[in-house]
Amino acid sequence: MSVAETKMDVDLAGIHLKTPLIAASGTFGYGTEYLEIAHYECIGAIVAKGLYLEPREGCAPPRIWETPAGMLNAIGLQGIGIERFVSEKMPELRALDVEVLVNICGSTLEEYSKLARILDGVEGVAGIEMNISCPNVQEGGIMFGCDIDMAARVTEAVRKSTVLPVIPKLSPNVSDIATIARRLESAGADALSLVNTIPAMAIDVETRKPRLANIVGGLSGPAIRPIALRLVYQTAQAVEIPVIGIGGISSSEDVLEFVLAGAAAVQIGTMNFVDPSIWRHTMEGLSDYCKRHRVKKFSDLCGSLVADVAAIPTGW
Amino acid sequence: MRRDEKAVLVERKTLSPDAHLLVFESESLASSFVPGQFTMLRLPGKEPLLRRPYSFCDRLDSRFSLLVKEAGRGTSALARLRLGEVVDCLGPLGSRFTMPEPASTPVIVAGGVGIAPFVGFCRWLACSNKKALVLLGGRQKHDLYLREDFETFGMQVFCTTEDGTFGHTGRVTDLLPELLEKTKSARLYSCGPTGMLSNTAKIARRYLVPHEVSLERRMGCGMGCCLGCVVFVAENESPSQYVRSCTEGPVFDADSVVWERDPFPM
Repeated sequence: MSVAETKMDVDLAGIHLKTPLIAASGTFGYGTEYLEIAHYECIGAIVAKGLYLEPREGCAPPRIWETPAGMLNAIGLQGIGIERFVSEKMPELRALDVEVLVNICGSTLEEYSKLARILDGVEGVAGIEMNISCPNVQEGGIMFGCDIDMAARVTEAVRKSTVLPVIPKLSPNVSDIATIARRLESAGADALSLVNTIPAMAIDVETRKPRLANIVGGLSGPAIRPIALRLVYQTAQAVEIPVIGIGGISSSEDVLEFVLAGAAAVQIGTMNFVDPSIWRHTMEGLSDYCKRHRVKKFSDLCGSLVADVAAIPTGW
Repeated sequence: MRRDEKAVLVERKTLSPDAHLLVFESESLASSFVPGQFTMLRLPGKEPLLRRPYSFCDRLDSRFSLLVKEAGRGTSALARLRLGEVVDCLGPLGSRFTMPEPASTPVIVAGGVGIAPFVGFCRWLACSNKKALVLLGGRQKHDLYLREDFETFGMQVFCTTEDGTFGHTGRVTDLLPELLEKTKSARLYSCGPTGMLSNTAKIARRYLVPHEVSLERRMGCGMGCCLGCVVFVAENESPSQYVRSCTEGPVFDADSVVWERDPFPM
């Protein structure tokens, strides 16, 4: 990475990130899997894979399928449970120079609260991302995220159970993102991350069978980016708390779109699978952009969309 | 050490109407993989989006080969790659075949494109003066890819085709029981369609023969993060669970695989 004059670090609800790039939950394992390959010095934070209190088996395979510019998945939050995460994974994560956010999921309010209480005392955990938007689990997940009252109640419950920053992760599958976002802000959310995957499906017409054993799954990747960008924009317009943009980011230009639309930081998920060098070239691209545009602090770009529609460039 | 390396396509041999041997130049990958391991290959351009997993087939100096059968968007696009084009290869990834003990006889059972990991494996065996019995099966003669390579390594090759166009008419598993009867301290290695592998596993259990199996799965990352490639396993000490074929596999102890929970016809 070239040394940039621009300050690339950002503050996210009191969490100091050395870069605005965050590894998205469910795409970066428990944080150390990519140590040989990815440029961790370019990663501001890692969101650990979604955890329940107990270990979970996950969905039957097949669990993934490729669609145009995207990926369908129905993993079903297979995981080792919070206890093993804290005892087995956190020691290694603490040693890394990245902030650690933990994504939690429960089937009841009490489970979310209990997870938050457990993480509250764990050294090295910088914040909690609440999964209220996973499309692939029967209980919990999206059940909370698509019902505004439930989303608010679970956010309040987690807020009361921890001093850590609380970041609900929102589903794109809602009719009015701004109303939900404002409600969660009042419920005590310190930041919001969005979007989770979009519920979707694919069928093999020769066999007439679904491509995924779960029949439906979540769509991610560049295919969803413009949808995610619109939702991030509307959310950032609606709330004062920081917004984390997620959805098919593959380059510095994509990051900038989300940041100009109002994101304080972004998460990268599916495209890290395709291109593990994404962290380095994205940071190089961001530094270069900041130099060309004489930006002193990366965070100054947040929400700096120029809404002058009278002079939009015509080339494409 | 796993790396994401550039590899140049330097040679292509078409083996059948839909199967190709692609030879790539990459010193570091060719010198670092162990038979059974695989690479996650990314094609130039934006389509397909995800990398695809391919078993390393063989190595020669600074080159490695992949056996590619066109079966979908990723494999078809790779088959159309032009000489001189560059791909990104993440690897070497996954578990490996274990070298048989000096006293044991390796018996290889491979169906169709499942022969891929065994070319390099047999080269490896040949280097240590090990003779293997190799059972190759296909629907028809042209599915018995690279048959001559195994003979070149001095292996004893048995062929079966379902339509009878070459060798024994039927399936590889038809020949296996008799072969195991005659072979002292055999050690099985298999790769191919799931039905063939589960039948091979049944026969291996009957003859109390240790058996390693290489499983092909859809993979999203190859690094153990997406959990898209899981296989249901049951082992004595730990509870039965889904494990990653990219990290704990692709080579598994066949006795640990719960075949009834395996949905893939391959």
